[in-house]
Amino acid sequence: MSKIKVIPCSGIGKVLGLLARESVLMVTQEKCPNESETLCLAHVVTGDDEVVAKIKGQPCITMDGCPKYCAKKSVEAAGGEVDHSYKVPDFMKPHRGEEHGTGTYLTADGWKFAEELSDILAKTVIEMQEEVR
Amino acid sequence: MIVNKIGVIGCSGEECLGGTISRLVVRKMLEELRPGMTTSLCLPLFIAGDGGEREFAEKYPTISIDGCSKCCAKRAIEKYSNAVAGSIDISEIIGEDKALEKPLSTRNLTAEHLEFVKQTAEKTCEIYDGISS
Ligand code: SF4
Ligand code: SF4
Repeated sequence: MSKIKVIPCSGIGKVLGLLARESVLMVTQEKCPNESETLCLAHVVTGDDEVVAKIKGQPCITMDGCPKYCAKKSVEAAGGEVDHSYKVPDFMKPHRGEEHGTGTYLTADGWKFAEELSDILAKTVIEMQEEVR
Repeated sequence: MIVNKIGVIGCSGEECLGGTISRLVVRKMLEELRPGMTTSLCLPLFIAGDGGEREFAEKYPTISIDGCSKCCAKRAIEKYSNAVAGSIDISEIIGEDKALEKPLSTRNLTAEHLEFVKQTAEKTCEIYDGISS
């Protein structure tokens, strides 16, 4: 089975986009490097033949920074199969009142939250791999 | 065209170092180098937004900051919005091998990476000032 694609949004204005990005990098580089990989979302947005060939019909997980669901919608527009779509605000409740940082950097609480998000993503990757087996 | 603000849009690429640098350059322009005079946009909103985002490069002269020679931000802006006023391919500044190194979490930034951000931001300022003068 090819690696599961885990794709964050490219949120630039607020910390939510950076939380999505950092959580995905933790999964694809540290927690599930053999089972998952990421793709440049901006490349997906271009919709060019090269990226469509990589993503079309492939199992994907997206992590968005807000309800605009940019990663989910862009992956779907390029033909990717979004099996699980998450967004950072859905996991925010226990973290209300914490300062997570900005679009540039994460605070210690921000890193803890990103770690938590990456655990959710890693669990999903493993479950998807097991379903296929 | 409104010329009191200039748009700076990065690719934020998730597959290589150049993408990480592009994000940091956009943030540096917004926060430090040209605050209040720079505006940006989450790139995938061209697909996921309500359509108003497509006027971005018509409203603002826009500089694209791309992490590698695929120039996804430039291509996406020109596909969905308008011609860019200036563009940067980070691989031309830091070298292709470096730009294509694996993507970097902001917690692993080194002095070398910050120097790459500085060099790219200086180049962005040159283009910026050429447009605004
Ligand atoms: S989902 Fe929200 S934060 Fe993420 S790129 Fe889209 S608009 Fe930006
Ligand atoms: S320009 Fe390169 S680094 Fe940026 S999104 Fe495209 S492929 Fe990725």
